[in-house]
Amino acid sequence: MLFMIPKKRELKVRKAILRGVYEDNLRIIGKNPVILSGRVPVFFKKMFLFFSITLLSILVNGNYLNLPLFPEKQTTASLITQRPSSLPAEKPVVKPSDYQAFLGGKEMPLSRMFGLEVKTIMIDPGHGGSDSGTKGTMGTKEKDITLDIAKKLRERLRKYGRYNILITREQDTTLPLNQRVELARSSRADLFISIHLNYLPSKPINIIETYYFGPSDDDKTLRLAEQENAGSHYGLSDFKEIIGKIGETLKLQESKEFAASIQKNLFLNSKKQNANVYNFGVKRAPFVVLLGVDVPAVLAEVSCLSNREEEIELNTESHRENIARYLEAGILDYLNKGEVSYEAKRSSGRR
Amino acid sequence: MKQKEAQGEGNILFVGIDLGTSRSSISASNNTREWIESYVGWPKDFISLQVVGKPVLFGAEALKNRLSLDLCRPLEHGVIKEGIEKSEEAVKEIIKYLIELAKPQPEQKIYAVVGVPADTLKVNKLAIRRAVSEFAHSLMVVSEPFAVAYGMNLLNNSLVIDIGAGTTDLCIMHGTIPLEEDQKTILAAGDYIDEQLYSYLTEKYPNSKFNKNMVRQFKEQYSFVKELSGDIRVEIPVDGKPVMHDIKNEVKRACESILPALVETTTEMIARFDPEFQVRIKNNIVLAGGGSLIRGLREYLQNALKEYGPCNVTCVEDPLFSGSNGALKLAQDMPAKYWEPL
Ligand SMILES: Nc1ncnc2c1ncn2[C@@H]1O[C@H](COP(=O)(O)OP(=O)(O)O)[C@@H](O)[C@H]1O
Ligand SMILES: [Zn+2]
Repeated sequence: MLFMIPKKRELKVRKAILRGVYEDNLRIIGKNPVILSGRVPVFFKKMFLFFSITLLSILVNGNYLNLPLFPEKQTTASLITQRPSSLPAEKPVVKPSDYQAFLGGKEMPLSRMFGLEVKTIMIDPGHGGSDSGTKGTMGTKEKDITLDIAKKLRERLRKYGRYNILITREQDTTLPLNQRVELARSSRADLFISIHLNYLPSKPINIIETYYFGPSDDDKTLRLAEQENAGSHYGLSDFKEIIGKIGETLKLQESKEFAASIQKNLFLNSKKQNANVYNFGVKRAPFVVLLGVDVPAVLAEVSCLSNREEEIELNTESHRENIARYLEAGILDYLNKGEVSYEAKRSSGRR
Repeated sequence: MKQKEAQGEGNILFVGIDLGTSRSSISASNNTREWIESYVGWPKDFISLQVVGKPVLFGAEALKNRLSLDLCRPLEHGVIKEGIEKSEEAVKEIIKYLIELAKPQPEQKIYAVVGVPADTLKVNKLAIRRAVSEFAHSLMVVSEPFAVAYGMNLLNNSLVIDIGAGTTDLCIMHGTIPLEEDQKTILAAGDYIDEQLYSYLTEKYPNSKFNKNMVRQFKEQYSFVKELSGDIRVEIPVDGKPVMHDIKNEVKRACESILPALVETTTEMIARFDPEFQVRIKNNIVLAGGGSLIRGLREYLQNALKEYGPCNVTCVEDPLFSGSNGALKLAQDMPAKYWEPL
């Protein structure tokens, strides 16, 4: 419908739209427009979020304190020097799904074999659709960055030709955590990595940390877990029960190894680009996505959206490509470790 | 609107740019309209440079000389592609070239509004800004379907479906700049049809030689959904000799492959609104982008969406320029105080 003389109302709408475009572009370059329209001030939203999270973390915390299933301390990624990553050309003998039976239960030494059998790797870009995850001051959303990094990682891993690389979401769609878990299970993924961005409103720093599933008694970790679990259909009571059932399984040990490899590669390489990045190490946290998956699973907080410089960097193609590269290195490093012990074990078996 | 001249800013050239995955166009306030294919090519080596005679080539010319060139289609999948520096460089070259095509006067300041695919806007806005800022004095970046909507005065209760090459962007307008939830991007678009058509054809004619470019040309020439009278026959080489091939059914299947996702996403987006608004939006659905040229598509969508009440779907008049025209209109309507020097 085209009117020769625009109606008054239409003029008003147009004015609002033009202003909207202007403000949006200010945000892109990192200037914060004074928002006039009747939105809830961000401050109040944050306060609300803070209180609800605090409350929840107190609840969760209470539960975990009664469950000293994991006596070991939280480990920090050891800084091992890099080895070239290559994989054995021959066909793996045992499928990951067989390994438990093959090993006859809890025996440890062969666990390293696991890495060898990896055929299907599932990459999980955090959040999506109506769940934006965290958001930087310029308006950058966690869900968009994680998706892009995930796709880049997929391309990189595909090049090896020997893995089947899956991704939990291809587009900007809402995908509840339990569906991600379902996907990983039904597609029989052998390795699972969930990609996220951190947010530390109180400190202007950039940190990198990698998680695997387990109870945590760290306040900040629990708060983060609440945020990352927000889209799940699991309740706190489910957690309690599930954690009770989990033992010191192979999956957990492997997940820890995997996490250490990811963290090491992410951190050391990021540090080369930017000296101001902090290593928060490998941690345990009750993330739903990690819990539901039966295979080694980690959640990497690859960068920090609350940091201005980092947000700008994350908006560049090259930085996201780099992060994907570090994750690739972390995955291959982990898989590669399996090779060494596998070879060792096999020769000793022939003896 | 001529308000800018009234404000005595005659020495400004307003430009609207549609930076597309396959085609990019520019509309300028001096009435130039130009477009190129979004390909950039750099000579591979010194000899290639001698052959093509230019340091950088664009669009059709770049495609023609592809063997001598490092070819780059920077926004291939809706976002700035891998290869990184090269892609950002390519975006820069495209913008520079388009602005040259608009022939600004030497002393003229350039105020640009650039429309980009919605997904590009999410993760590449800074890169886009960087690429454009060298060639413009002031600049705003918006999402492509929004520019189309603005240009057609569809500010309220409307839905624009922009079927491009890499992505189809949907955008609902309700009187404000579209929010996150008013926009959706799906991969059911031109490139997807090309891929389908390519695989249908290689399956049906395993001995004939196809390439992606040929297939795209077939599509652009014959695209349709549902019904079409007459045959579709094309010449394709078999063992070096041209042979006629019947491709009607394959074209139809390939074009129809995007329909389910289109209908589903459209329905989903409209369903979020109150029934009263649903009716209004459904009477204001506009198809844009190269994909809107598929014959029968408008009628098909109108019918498919009728299930829940009356519905009116139209196509933009000029899919090649509807984005850049809209961006130009935005630029010209923008109050002077919003144009900040870079
Ligand atoms: N007549 C046509 N029928 C079907 N598809 C077409 C036709 N003309 C162009 N296209 C397709 O439209 C897409 C380009 O649309 P366009 O809006 O220019 O996209 P973008 O903005 O993503 O570059 C390409 O996939 C092209 O093949
Ligand atoms: Zn997250």
